[in-house]
Amino acid sequence: MDTTIFNQDHILLDTASTTQAEAFQAIADLAASLGYVSDAKAYAAGLKDREAGATTGFKDGFAIPHSNDASILKPGLFLVKFSHPIEWAALDNQPVTVAFALTIPKDGGKEHLKLLSQIARKLMNAEFRTTIQNETDGAALTTAVNQIQ
Amino acid sequence: MSKKIVAVTACAAGIAHTYMAAEAIEQAAKEKGFDVKVETNGSIGAENVLTTEDIANADLVLVAADIKINPIRFSGKPLYVTDSNAAIADGAGLIDTALKDAKVFGEKGSKVGNIQIGNDHSKVNFFTHIMSGISYMIPMVIAAGLILAIANVYAFQRDDMGRIVKWGFDNKTAMGALMANLFQVGQVGFKLMIPLFAGFVANSIADKPAIAPAMIGAYLANDPTSLHTKAGGGFIAALIVAFIVGYFVKLLKKIKWPHIIQPIVPIMIIPVIATLFISLIVFYLIGEPIATLMSGLYAWLTWLNTNSTSAPVIIGIVLGGMMGFDLGGPINKTALIFGTAVFADTMAKYGPTHANFLPQTATQAAISVAPLGVWLASIIWKNKFSKDEKVATTAALGMGLVGVTEGAIPFVAADPIRMIIANVSGSAVAGGLVALTGCKFYGGIGSPLGSFIGYIQQPIPLITWILCVCAGIAVTALIIGLTRSPQVMAAAKEAV
Repeated sequence: MDTTIFNQDHILLDTASTTQAEAFQAIADLAASLGYVSDAKAYAAGLKDREAGATTGFKDGFAIPHSNDASILKPGLFLVKFSHPIEWAALDNQPVTVAFALTIPKDGGKEHLKLLSQIARKLMNAEFRTTIQNETDGAALTTAVNQIQ
Repeated sequence: MSKKIVAVTACAAGIAHTYMAAEAIEQAAKEKGFDVKVETNGSIGAENVLTTEDIANADLVLVAADIKINPIRFSGKPLYVTDSNAAIADGAGLIDTALKDAKVFGEKGSKVGNIQIGNDHSKVNFFTHIMSGISYMIPMVIAAGLILAIANVYAFQRDDMGRIVKWGFDNKTAMGALMANLFQVGQVGFKLMIPLFAGFVANSIADKPAIAPAMIGAYLANDPTSLHTKAGGGFIAALIVAFIVGYFVKLLKKIKWPHIIQPIVPIMIIPVIATLFISLIVFYLIGEPIATLMSGLYAWLTWLNTNSTSAPVIIGIVLGGMMGFDLGGPINKTALIFGTAVFADTMAKYGPTHANFLPQTATQAAISVAPLGVWLASIIWKNKFSKDEKVATTAALGMGLVGVTEGAIPFVAADPIRMIIANVSGSAVAGGLVALTGCKFYGGIGSPLGSFIGYIQQPIPLITWILCVCAGIAVTALIIGLTRSPQVMAAAKEAV
């Protein structure tokens, strides 16, 4: 995994959020503080817009919120684990406990965009989801995500 | 032998769901022991693209996409279409359902017209329809306009003093007869351009079945003989006709026609019904107002002309503005006819010393403002015009220089409100200024070149006329350049 897209700083254990809107704000604040988006509010709104199109919550408490709005500066992945399960209208109707959030720049380099799409593929792997779900240690989570090529 | 499945996945952002859906379909198919190949249409481009052979050998085609995917290459194959989440939620279940419910795509009578899979709301709007029509109209405007412009130069007959006093072709000479013919060619082009435009705007809204009704409707709406009026409705009527037809045909396509007649719905049922419908609208709804408007305007102009002897500038402004309003449409024609009629009338009654030159001088000063204004704007604001549009503005320059207003039509059709404001303002300025300075237009070309090709009496020879007309052109160009809408610019770039 390219460390400019994901590293241990990109992991957040969110104990506060109880709603999807709060979760989006937490994700956006994280991305903004690391310099991946120019405007946390705009990115949070972008996540909400994408969600309005169709849910990004899929299986076993996992969601992949993402946006390609204008506030995004560079491609990135953010892993946020929620202490409070969050209602997400997921495909399996389970509340969400893990979000893999993506920042997708409009004119991102091919290699980086490809890496983001590899992450999406990996999320369809049940074994990978179990590892992420059960692991709480930041370093171990980073190692697991870094396996993605 | 194991079943072969091919699939295409796509989503809005083209990064996440495209690939999750692909992964889900691949996993599920492998578990079932099927052969599988999934094409991903993501933001990094299509990958793992399905070949003709892949599709030919497939037992099932799955499309799991949130955006439009053109299904034409799957003709004759069992096709099942859904969104990306359906594949992500339950890949195995989706394959089972698809195997059971897939329908052979493109079977006779299965669907009418061009099918869109998924939704793509973002790209289509009012402007893209008009731009599509314009892209088909431009070549005809240019071909007809330039030939007409060449012929027009030869239409001015000089007297012994070398002054141009009469407009018309001298059919007694071979050159005159040829130019008269070329003039006809140009006029046929201008006549056809209106229905052509309407046909392709309607085509953009509702596809092929809408072309015939829109062309017939627009022809009628622009044909004074059919309407029993003095002038046709021009491109504004064509625009109205095109949108009525487009959405009416769209409505007709939604009707569940009986299976037995479905093959003839797009080629016969819809065109006949829609043509009948629009013809009646033109004859009984649109035609009447145009005729009433025309005679009302004419009466008003006569009144204004007799009552504004103290302030000739007013009639100059009004007539100039009318010239720029619809560029060869009913209002423009009313002003032009009025100007010529008043001139011919008073010239015959009182002779050159007491003839009323004002209306004709104002209309002629305004005639070239719109095409030259849009050309000037495209020179100053280069980035605000697409490549195709610049070709059209160059042609507008050629037409404008010899007093052919129609050169600006494509731009007005694209963005009626802003462009009409720009054209009317500039044309009114030109009309008002020539009235103010007391120019007298005897005959010739109604452009800045009129000072050289034609005969115009003016306070400072040559200069006054040119300055007045150019002031109008500058005003039009300025308004166009400053107000050009981003939506129109985007649509112009799309419609190549």
